[in-house]
Amino acid sequence: MKMFSQIISYLLPVLYLGVIYLYYLLFTEKNKSLAQRTTLILGILAFIHLVEIVTRNLALNTMPFSTAHDAFSFIAFSVLFVYMISELGMQHRGAGLFILSFAFVLELVSAVHMSWQTETNELLSNKTFAIHASMAVTGYTGLLLAAIYSLMYIIQNNNLKKRNIGTVFQQLPSLTYLEKMSKRSVVTGIILLGIGIMLGHYQMMIIGEYQVKDLKVIITDVVWILYIIMYLLAMKNKWSGEKMAYWSLYGFLIFIVGGGLLIYMSDSFHKFY
Amino acid sequence: MDQIPLGLLGISHKTAPVEVRERVALSDTEQREALGHIINEFRADGCMMLSTCNRTEIYVSAEDHEEIIEKLKGWLASFKQTDLYSDSELFYNLNGPSAAEHFFKVIAGIDSQIVGEQQIAGQVKDSYDVAHQLQGTDAIINKLFNFAMQAKKKVHNETFLTDGTVSVSFAGVELARKIFSDLDKKSILVVGAGKTAELAAFHFQENGVKNIRVVNRTYQRAQELAEKLSGTASPMEELPHVLAEADIVISATSSETFVVTKDIMKQVAHQRRHQPIFLIDLAIPRDIDPAINEIGGVFLYNLDDLEEIVKQNLEKRKKEIPKSMKIIEDFVVEFKEWYSMNSMSSIVGKLKKRLDTIRLNEIERLKSKLPQNGYRQEIDVLTESIINKVVRQHVKSLKNSIHDPEKYQKQVELILSIYEIDNEK
Repeated sequence: MKMFSQIISYLLPVLYLGVIYLYYLLFTEKNKSLAQRTTLILGILAFIHLVEIVTRNLALNTMPFSTAHDAFSFIAFSVLFVYMISELGMQHRGAGLFILSFAFVLELVSAVHMSWQTETNELLSNKTFAIHASMAVTGYTGLLLAAIYSLMYIIQNNNLKKRNIGTVFQQLPSLTYLEKMSKRSVVTGIILLGIGIMLGHYQMMIIGEYQVKDLKVIITDVVWILYIIMYLLAMKNKWSGEKMAYWSLYGFLIFIVGGGLLIYMSDSFHKFY
Repeated sequence: MDQIPLGLLGISHKTAPVEVRERVALSDTEQREALGHIINEFRADGCMMLSTCNRTEIYVSAEDHEEIIEKLKGWLASFKQTDLYSDSELFYNLNGPSAAEHFFKVIAGIDSQIVGEQQIAGQVKDSYDVAHQLQGTDAIINKLFNFAMQAKKKVHNETFLTDGTVSVSFAGVELARKIFSDLDKKSILVVGAGKTAELAAFHFQENGVKNIRVVNRTYQRAQELAEKLSGTASPMEELPHVLAEADIVISATSSETFVVTKDIMKQVAHQRRHQPIFLIDLAIPRDIDPAINEIGGVFLYNLDDLEEIVKQNLEKRKKEIPKSMKIIEDFVVEFKEWYSMNSMSSIVGKLKKRLDTIRLNEIERLKSKLPQNGYRQEIDVLTESIINKVVRQHVKSLKNSIHDPEKYQKQVELILSIYEIDNEK
């Protein structure tokens, strides 16, 4: 099983790249007939990725998220899965190129961090930890998707303003659709991240290592609270789609990318690998 | 391979101006009369007619289709009181696969005046239905129509030939769809009550917009148009107020000055908290100050912008012609192969009948030499089996050469000559 899983692990970034190439062909209007088959192709890719996750964790007898490879791989999978679902009710495929490119980058990072050491950390075999980690990771995925939809909103808004009605304009969905998807992703992200955070705090209390000064805990909590505040402000003041898009994109870049870098450079108790 | 017994006599926007086309066009009643004449008097196996503002085409299926088309020209000349049908510069005459290819191009919209327009497919379908009702469709016309519909579908699905609007008044709807995903929940404000405003509003209504308001300097005209569009009317003085409630604005007045200024729009955008508002200025001189496009959430397009969109869409469609032609050519090949297979089964049937006659004659000749009723059943089984084996061998050989028209034709002629088969109907 280990060898089977290893082969898929190495193959996955190539498969993601192949799917992105198909979306590129659609985006640049080189092949129209592909549009009818993309959801099936995504389904196959999602299935292969799921097989990789399951077989790897069975082979190593560990929980998902125990290594950087697992964490990035799971985020890539959730981005792919969420996009695949959203594509079902959508005529345009333009968003796919943007969103799946992020999934590919995540899968590539995952491949770079590939290791085949059996996990020995006791915490990582704890079920509450697995739920905490999966909720947090999926929550961040929601926020990432919101940022990608916001980026597309900004591009489409500029296209409409400047009357750039070329390929990018044709392929991207409507402004209101992008706004709606961005909002949904933010709400999903806030809820899931919230559950993840609560479970994390609960877990720390259970194991008796309540470390509120841990940078990763602080940053995650702050990001979550700021997202809630910004979302409530946007709703209360009925921010325009454009304003929300800029906030969502810059917010993601500053809070999450910046915070992520800080955590990466600091010495957090969250480092299990 | 057999030459497909199909002929076409046609005239289109490519060969004749509208003054000529309208003289040779056939009304519904005329089409029915002509079709009946072609089938009953000229003894064609099948016939289908297409008469639109851009073309009049008559497809005839018969072994002697060339002869029928010549007779048809003369008949049409007296029927329509014009000798234009014999003008080879105006009318094209195509035969066999060329006629099929032309038909596929017509139905796919490649031969249309506006490349990729889809209205023609519906017109062809109506023509086919008429031909079918009048029993003018034989196997060839039926198959031609089937292949044409498949070709059209494939061109539509695999190329961008029919994508993007090529009508200025519809371009506004397409743009609105890039701002709002659900037009049916949006409200539209029509400024002006003229024909231009009405047509544009009608396109939006056709695409699901239900909430329509009309403002006009003459309130009565606003009311009249509002009634037509099942909307409401407001006097011009209420424009700043009703603007704030609209998501889409169509303006087409004859005003010499801007009806919607930047100051008005700034207030409106503020009231709307910069939620998207789409304005289409169809007036000349313009009704809406172009500077409003600088305001967040406000998207303004004028007549030139819409015409530019149409121009780009048309260019994009034209670029798709080679790809579409490749699909059409594939379908012509399929149609030719179908015809060969169809004609092969007819030849095989004749061959089998011929061999059976020989077999029965020989048995009859031997009958006197055989004991009474002796071995008759066994002889029948044996001889039938030999015949079937010979026929199968010929079928195999014909099938192998079906992709090589010359070889196939030679083989058919050889079989017909060896077994002295008459290939007439």
